[in-house]
Amino acid sequence: MSSDIRKWFMKQHDKGSGSVSKPASKPATAVPDKPSPLSSQKPVQATQENSGRRKTSKYFTTSTAKEVNSEETVKEKVEAKTPPKRKTRKSIEDLPDDIKPSPAKKLHRNDDDDDDDFVPPSKDKRSAEVKPTKKMKTGSGIQIISSSHEVDDHLEDETDEKDSETPLKAGGRGKGGRGSGATAGGRGRGGGRGGYMNFGERKDPPHKGEKEVPEGSPECLNSLTFVISGTLDSLEREEAEDLIKRHGGRVTSAVSKKTSFLLADEDVGGRKSSKAKELGIPFLTEDGLFDKIRKSKPAKAQMQEEKKKRSSEKMDKPIINKSPRKVEVKDDKAVSIGRKDAAKNVKSGISPDKRKSQSGDRSSLTWTEKYRPKLPNDIIGNQSIVKQLHDWLMTWDEHFLHAGQKGKGKKQSDSGSKKAVLLSGSPGIGKSTSAKLVSQMIGFQAIEVNASDSRGKADAKIGKGIGGSTSNSIKELVSNEIVNSSSDWSKRQKSVLIMDEVDGMSAGDRGGVADLIASIKISKIPIICICNDRYSQKLKSLVNYCLPLNYRKPTKQQMAKRLKQIADAEGLQINEVALEELAERVNGDMRMAINQLQYMSISKSAINYDDIRQRLLSSAKDEDISPFTAVDKLFGFNGGKLRMDERIDLSMSDPDLVPLIVQENYINYRPTSIGKDENGVKKMQFLAQAAESIGDGDIFNVQIRRYRQWQLSQSSSFASCIIPAALMHGHRETLEPGERNFNRFGGWLGKNSTMGKNLRLLEDVHVHFLASQEAKLDRATLRVDYFTLLLKQLTDPLQMMPKEVAVQKVVEFMDAYSLTQEDFDTIVELSKFKGHPNPMDNIQPAVKSALTKAYKQGSSSRVVRSADLITLPGLKKAPKKRIAAILEPVEDGVSEENGEALAENEEENSDSEDADDLGLGTNADQKPQLDLLSNKPKGVQVQLDLKNNGKSNVKKKTPASKSRASEPADKGAQMSGSRKRKK
Amino acid sequence: MLWVDKYRPRALDKIIAHEEIAQNLKKLVSEHDCPHLLFYGPTGSGKKTLVMALLKQMFGPGVEKVKLENKMWKIDAGTRTIELELTTLSSTHHVEMNPSDAGFQDRHIVQEIIKEMARNRPVDTKGKKGFKVLVLNEVDKLSREGQHSLRRTMEKYSASCRLILCCNSSSKVTEAVRSRCLNIRVNAPTEEQIIKVLEFIGKKENLQLPPGFTARIAAQSNRNLRRAILSFETCRVQQYPFTVNQALPPLDWEQYVSEIASDIMKEQSPKRLFSVRGKIYELLVNCIPPEIILKKLLSELLKKLDSELKHEVCHWAAYYEHRMRFGQKAIFHIEAFVAKFMSIYKAFLIATFG
Repeated sequence: MSSDIRKWFMKQHDKGSGSVSKPASKPATAVPDKPSPLSSQKPVQATQENSGRRKTSKYFTTSTAKEVNSEETVKEKVEAKTPPKRKTRKSIEDLPDDIKPSPAKKLHRNDDDDDDDFVPPSKDKRSAEVKPTKKMKTGSGIQIISSSHEVDDHLEDETDEKDSETPLKAGGRGKGGRGSGATAGGRGRGGGRGGYMNFGERKDPPHKGEKEVPEGSPECLNSLTFVISGTLDSLEREEAEDLIKRHGGRVTSAVSKKTSFLLADEDVGGRKSSKAKELGIPFLTEDGLFDKIRKSKPAKAQMQEEKKKRSSEKMDKPIINKSPRKVEVKDDKAVSIGRKDAAKNVKSGISPDKRKSQSGDRSSLTWTEKYRPKLPNDIIGNQSIVKQLHDWLMTWDEHFLHAGQKGKGKKQSDSGSKKAVLLSGSPGIGKSTSAKLVSQMIGFQAIEVNASDSRGKADAKIGKGIGGSTSNSIKELVSNEIVNSSSDWSKRQKSVLIMDEVDGMSAGDRGGVADLIASIKISKIPIICICNDRYSQKLKSLVNYCLPLNYRKPTKQQMAKRLKQIADAEGLQINEVALEELAERVNGDMRMAINQLQYMSISKSAINYDDIRQRLLSSAKDEDISPFTAVDKLFGFNGGKLRMDERIDLSMSDPDLVPLIVQENYINYRPTSIGKDENGVKKMQFLAQAAESIGDGDIFNVQIRRYRQWQLSQSSSFASCIIPAALMHGHRETLEPGERNFNRFGGWLGKNSTMGKNLRLLEDVHVHFLASQEAKLDRATLRVDYFTLLLKQLTDPLQMMPKEVAVQKVVEFMDAYSLTQEDFDTIVELSKFKGHPNPMDNIQPAVKSALTKAYKQGSSSRVVRSADLITLPGLKKAPKKRIAAILEPVEDGVSEENGEALAENEEENSDSEDADDLGLGTNADQKPQLDLLSNKPKGVQVQLDLKNNGKSNVKKKTPASKSRASEPADKGAQMSGSRKRKK
Repeated sequence: MLWVDKYRPRALDKIIAHEEIAQNLKKLVSEHDCPHLLFYGPTGSGKKTLVMALLKQMFGPGVEKVKLENKMWKIDAGTRTIELELTTLSSTHHVEMNPSDAGFQDRHIVQEIIKEMARNRPVDTKGKKGFKVLVLNEVDKLSREGQHSLRRTMEKYSASCRLILCCNSSSKVTEAVRSRCLNIRVNAPTEEQIIKVLEFIGKKENLQLPPGFTARIAAQSNRNLRRAILSFETCRVQQYPFTVNQALPPLDWEQYVSEIASDIMKEQSPKRLFSVRGKIYELLVNCIPPEIILKKLLSELLKKLDSELKHEVCHWAAYYEHRMRFGQKAIFHIEAFVAKFMSIYKAFLIATFG
C-alpha cells in the first residue's frame, strides 16, 4: 500500500518535474496553484533567478562546487543518520526552503556551536535539495525502508521536498514580489555601482511573510553582531533587526572586525559584502539565521513535534511553552539554558532585595532629577556645544561689560560677540541642564524664567525702573546696572538669565519676543535663550541677536551607556540591546528614556527587549506616518491582526489621502483570508464587496463635506479604508508587467483635475456654440451627441480633400458655429481615446499650418468672439473675466452703427492685421497670442469708458462686416458688441 | 451649419415630430399667458425646440435676439460670500439658464439670482404689465435644496414671471415643483417620425436615399431624433452617394464603451478590473457624463448576457447609479458596478460550465 503510493507519486514526479499541475491531493494543497497566464513563464524565470543568485556570490559558488564533490559522503551521512534525526530534518524542511546552501557559513557555525549534533543533517538535507532529484529519491527510499512505520508521515515529508525542488514551487515564489521582467533589473543592481541602494529601490522580500519566523531562547544570539545586507528572503530589514535584537544579538550598519555575521540572502556585491570577505566574516542566510534561532529552542519543542508527527498531523508552529516534557530534555544546550535560567532566577531573586535596600535611600525624586548630570561633562553628547557655551559665558564680561563702556559692545554683528545665545534642539536632550550646569560651574547665578512666568511686554519706558508699575522682572534684571557696576567687590555674584522655552512666548506674553530683543540690547548680564525649533516663525527676529547653538540628538549608544549606568545603580536587570532599542524609540529624548525606564522598573526587575517594544509601541504611534505607510500597514500581511483602534488611527492619519490610495490599490492585493481560491470567484466577490464599501465611503464623504456631518468621519474611514483593508489585506501583486510593487498614489486627484480642465474647455466650446445662435443644447449633449460629427466635419476634409478647398471648408464651418482654434483643439483632444488612432494623425503639418493661416486671415473680418477670457487692465490684480458678447441679429435697415463704431472697427482691424503679421506662417500654437493681442484694444477701450462715465456697465459695439453666406437673407448677423460688467 | 440646426423648426406650426403637443401649446398661449410649464422627456426628443417655438409664438421674433452673458454673481450667504459664475442666454422677454451648473451651490442660484430676475417686472411698449419667462434647463439635476427653494419662488413671483422647466426625468423633480407646473411629456419620437424627418431633410438637401437607409439610421438612433439627424449627416460626410449597406458610424464614446463591455465579458479578474478602471477614467476625462457611461455599459453588457442574469445585473446597475447620485466620485461607483458584475458573472460561468 505504502509503496504503491510512493511509486505513484514518484512517477508523477518524474513525469511532471516541469509541469504545472500537481494531481496528488496532498501536493495540490501544498502548492499554491494559480492558473493564470503568468504561470507558464514562471519556471523559466525562477530557474534563471536561482542561477543568477548563485552566480553572484563567489562564496556561494565555491561552496556549491565543494558540495557537489562531497555529495557521496553526504549521502552516506544521510543514510547513517536519518532515522534518529528525522525530527530535525522535518523542522528544517518546513521552511519553504531557499535553494541556496552556503556551507561556508555552516562550517563556521559548527565551530561556533557546541552542539553540532543537529547541524550535519540539516546541512545534508540542504545540499541534497539542490542536487538532481534522483539523488533525492534514493535518499528518501532508504529512509522509508529504515522507518517503515512512519510511511504516511514520510510521504508528507517527501511531498515537501519535492515541492521545494520542482520548478513549480520556485515559480510560486517568483511570482510573488517580482514582476516578470523586473527580475533582471532588481538582481543586477549594485553590481557596478558602489552597492548602496537608493531609497525605495530596495525590493520587497520575495517571500515576504511566507515563512514562519522562529522563536528561540532570548539569549541565543548573545554577543553576536550582525550586519544586514541586501534584500532578505522573507523578512523586511526592520523585521530581521527586530528578530535579532529579540534574541539578544546586535545589529550594526557597517561591517567591522567585531561583526560576527553578514546576513544576506543574495550577494549584491556591495561594499558590505566585499568588506566582509576582506575581513573573513562569514555570510549567513536568512534561513541560517532561522535555524540558529530555532535550534536554540529547548528540544522539547522538537519532542512535541515528533509526537505530532506520529499522529501524522503536520503542525507548523510547535508550541514550546506548554510542553510538559521539559524535564525530558536531553540536549546539552537545553540543559545549559535551563541552568542559565535557573541562574537568572536566582539573580533576579536577589535583586528585589537589593532594590529594596536601595529604595530606602531613594528619595521621592524622579530618576530624571536624581540622575541629572552634575557636571557639564556628564551631559550626553553635544560636548562641543557645551564647550562653546562655556567659552561664550566666560568671555561675556570682557566683551560687553568692560569693553561695552568703551563703545565696542555695539559690534553685535560680529558673530563671536553676540550678547545672547540661543540653544535649540528637541526636548529632553539637556539644553536647560547644560545651561544651568555651565553657569553654575563658572559661578554665575542662574535666574531661570520659563513659560510659567509672565514675560509680556513691559512698559516701554525703562527709565521708570522698579517704580514703574508695569515693568517686569526681566527688565529689572537685565538693566540692573547699579548693582552690577557700582559694587565692584570681586566676590559679587554675577548672574545669568536663562530664558527657557522662548518659542512658547505667545498669547499672554504680548510682544514677548520683541521685548526680549530690546532686553538683549540693553542687557548687562548674559542671556541664554532656549527653544525647541530654531526655525520657528516667531523666533525669526530673535535669531539675529543670538549666537545660535544647535543641540543634536545623542546617539543611541551614548544614551544606552548612560541608561545602563542608571539601571545598574538602580539594580535593574536590562541588557544593552534593550536599552539601545529604548534609546532609539524615544527618538533621542533622554528624559523620556529615563522616565520610561523608571516606570518599567516599578513593575519588573528584569526588563528585556520585548518589554521595551511593547511598552513603546504606543508612543511610537504618535509620530507622523505617511499615508503610504498607513495603507501598507492596513493591507499588509498582518493587517488582519491589527486592533480596531490601530486601524482607525491608520486610516485617520490622513483622512483625505488614505482612502484614495486604498481605492487605487485595493485591486492589487491577494487576500489571505480567502485561502485557496481555485477559480478566483471568491476573490472577485471580495473585490466587489470592497468596491461597494469604497462607494459607501464616498457617500459618507459627501455627507461630511457638503452637509458638514463631521460626526460621520469615523464611519467614513471605516467604509473607505478599514472594510476594504479587512477584506483584501494580504499579498500585493503587480497587475501590469514592469510595474513596481509599491502602492500607487491615488489616481483620482489627477484624473479629476484633468476632467475639470476638460470640462472648462468644453464649456468654452459650448458657449461659443450658443453664441453662434445656431444651436440650443447643453454641454453634455454637445459632447455626447455632437462631437463625433463635429470631429468628422473638422478633420475629414483636411485628410481627404485638396488643401485649399479643405481649409476653406473647415474655416467656414468653424465660423458658422463661431468656433475658435482652441475649440478645434478641444474637440480633437476630447475625442482622443487611448488605444484609438489620433484623429489628427493623418493630417499633414502643411495642411495644419494652412488652416491656421486661413483662420487668422479671416479673423479680421470675423464676428467678435464671444465670451473669451480677457484680462482687464487697470485693476490692481486683474481678474480673468469673460466678456459677455451680445450677438444680436439686427433687422434690416435698423442700423445702429455710427461713425464712431466704424472707427473702432477700423482700429481693431488694423490691430488684428498687425497680429496677423506677427503670427504668419506659424502653427496653431501662436493662436492664443493673437487673441490676446486682438483683445487688448478692447480692454483699453473699456477702461476709457469706465473713466468717462464711471458706470460699471459699458456697452461697446463692434460692427462685424462679415455677412455669412449661409444666413437667411433677411437676417444679417452683422451687429455684435460686447458687454462687460464690472463685478 | 449642421443639419440638425439648419432644419430645426422655428415655429410651432412647422414641428413635425410632436405636432399634437405643438398644437396644444399654441392654443394654450393664444391669450398671451400661460401657467408654469414642465417639459420632460428623453434627450433628443425636441423639448428645447418646442420651448423656443413656444416662446416665439408668445412674444414674436423678438425672442430670437438673444445675448449670451457670462457673469459672476456675488451672493451673500450668511457669514461668507459665494462667487458663482453663470452663463445666461437672454432676450428682452426671457432668460435661459442652467442652474445645476453651479454644482452643490445651486441653491444660491435659485434663491438669489432667479429671485432677482423674477422680481423685475417688464413693462411692454403699450404700458401693459407683461411677464418674463425663465427657462431653466436640467431641473432634475438640481439638488433637493435647490428644488425646494424653487417652489417658493414659483408662487411668490407668479404674477410677473413664468417658469419653463426642462428635464429628462420627472421623477427626479420633487412632487411640490411638479404640482405647480403644467407637466408636458415629450415622448421620444417614434421611428416612423424619425424616418419622416430624415426624409424631409434628404429632400431639402437633394440626396439620393437608398431604400431602408433612413430606417436603419432611425433604428440605430435609439429614438433620439437629434442623434438620428447627426448620424445621418455623419454618413453623408463619410460617404456619398449612399449605398444600401453603408455602415453607420458609431459614436466615438459608444464604441469605446462597447470595447469595455467586451473586455469585461472576456475576462473577470482583478487585472481586467484594473484596466477597465483606466478606460473608464479615459471616458470620464473626456467629459462623458458618468450616468451615460453606466447606462450604455449596462445595455452593452445586456446584449451579450444570458437572460438568466439580466434581471440581477439590471438591479445592480440601478443600485449603483442611485449611489452615484449620492456620491461625488463617480468612478468609485462605476468600478463597484463592474466589480459586482464580474463577481456575478464569474460565479455564473463557473456554476454553468465548471
